[in-house]
Amino acid sequence: MSQTAGHAAKPPLKMGLAIPNSKLCMWLFLGTEIMFFTAFIGTYLVLRLGSPDWPSSEHDTHINVRAGGINTFVLIFSSYMVVVAHEAMMLKDFGKARRALWVTFACGILFMGIKSFEYYGKISKDIVPGHIAETEDQALQKLINEADASVDRFASALVLDRIEILNADLASLKADSQAAESLASTIQELQETARKTRAALAELKVTAPDAVTLKTDLRYDERQAALTKLQTERDKIAAKIRTGTLPLYASAETDHEATPDAGADAGHETGADAAHAINPEIMTFINDMSNAETNRDIADYFHVHEPQVIKYGNVFASTYFLMTGFHAIHVIVGLILFLIVLKQGSALNESYTDFVENSGLYWHFVDLVWIFLFPLIYIIKF
Amino acid sequence: MSDSHGSRPPYIVIFWMLCIFTALSWAADELQQFIPSMGVLAVIVLAIATAKALCVMLYFMHLKFERNWKYVLLAPTFILACGLPLALLPDIGVHYYEVDVPQNSIADRVSVLPEATGTDGEHAVPH
Repeated sequence: MSQTAGHAAKPPLKMGLAIPNSKLCMWLFLGTEIMFFTAFIGTYLVLRLGSPDWPSSEHDTHINVRAGGINTFVLIFSSYMVVVAHEAMMLKDFGKARRALWVTFACGILFMGIKSFEYYGKISKDIVPGHIAETEDQALQKLINEADASVDRFASALVLDRIEILNADLASLKADSQAAESLASTIQELQETARKTRAALAELKVTAPDAVTLKTDLRYDERQAALTKLQTERDKIAAKIRTGTLPLYASAETDHEATPDAGADAGHETGADAAHAINPEIMTFINDMSNAETNRDIADYFHVHEPQVIKYGNVFASTYFLMTGFHAIHVIVGLILFLIVLKQGSALNESYTDFVENSGLYWHFVDLVWIFLFPLIYIIKF
Repeated sequence: MSDSHGSRPPYIVIFWMLCIFTALSWAADELQQFIPSMGVLAVIVLAIATAKALCVMLYFMHLKFERNWKYVLLAPTFILACGLPLALLPDIGVHYYEVDVPQNSIADRVSVLPEATGTDGEHAVPH
């Protein structure tokens, strides 16, 4: 009897750790996350150490230390607000917890806004993996490719507009008339041409059948003339590049002879970097074709970037977007976790305390990753 | 569920410490012309980042107050996390042979440029 009583006095045997299962799961998950991000960061470090050169100037990388610093502060403040929210949950002050989580949520949105601004800066300059020219030849090839693509866009738009006009006319004709048959045949021919190569598109000149009167004014003839001008200018530049008579960089003599306007636009470089000023003839072509005042029809379709050589720019862009992109995805997941709690509104109660703690652990981990990304990407420039 | 070994400083103190560390990183970047080399700057800012990470892990994530399960759970992940960089380092990070890559080659000239094929990912032709 006494033995039984003594036995009952002992606490019941409990397997596992003295923490909630959900918290253990979160920590196990964070263990895998540590390996996930250290694989990216480690690979970045190895590639960076192993590359004889690495883009470091702000002009090349569009890395904005100020934006990175502000984002660091935003995440740190949000981390602080999460612990405030968790503490309030423990004290059953659910109103305070909700307010703190709303601030955290706003910080996450602000972080994503600043990050989007940074991404926009890079993407608008075509600082994206695989698109960056790493040699002079690649920069010139990219110039030709982008000019070709501009011609394609313009020619395609003209064909599609033409089809639209002819379809409108077809609708106004009697279905069984000879003019309608002729027009339908023309439209079919156009549609087939539009699917063909860009060479066919570029050579395309369409004339509506005599019986048809165009009812929509799309300034077709003027635009056709503008397309021809763009093609001519593109051909001139491409021919010079292919024959090697148009180098990417202007020599010092060429620079002096060049038109002042083009020279001014040509480079951000001065002094010692003047030798790396982009050839004024190339800049004149780009600036002239993209000038909306003098070439308004062409400018709409002409998307050619100023040539730029960035050694190891592609591996830089790949690692940058990989690390910051996955980090941004984690921020979004964190925001969703907080929304689940905030959705409860005034019904928030102590049953969400563990959820807030685990979401907080996840959010702190997201903060930890950024704490290392900030110096590695933004500050250290070898 | 965490243990209360030792006293815990107020969270606001940790927050201000993190702000000061961030400001120090920023200052190191602004004053880098006074820092002898980029290597020294790297050591400084990574040391500051480590201090910040410790603040977040020990206090915000409460690891300082958790029991020994934290070592059992986290130590293997740190060891495995080092595996990939260490495996890549000998061949990619530290070159035994001289690196010969197109980026540094001056042999290829513009005269050998092929005809444009429009393989830059932009296709304007509608399908």
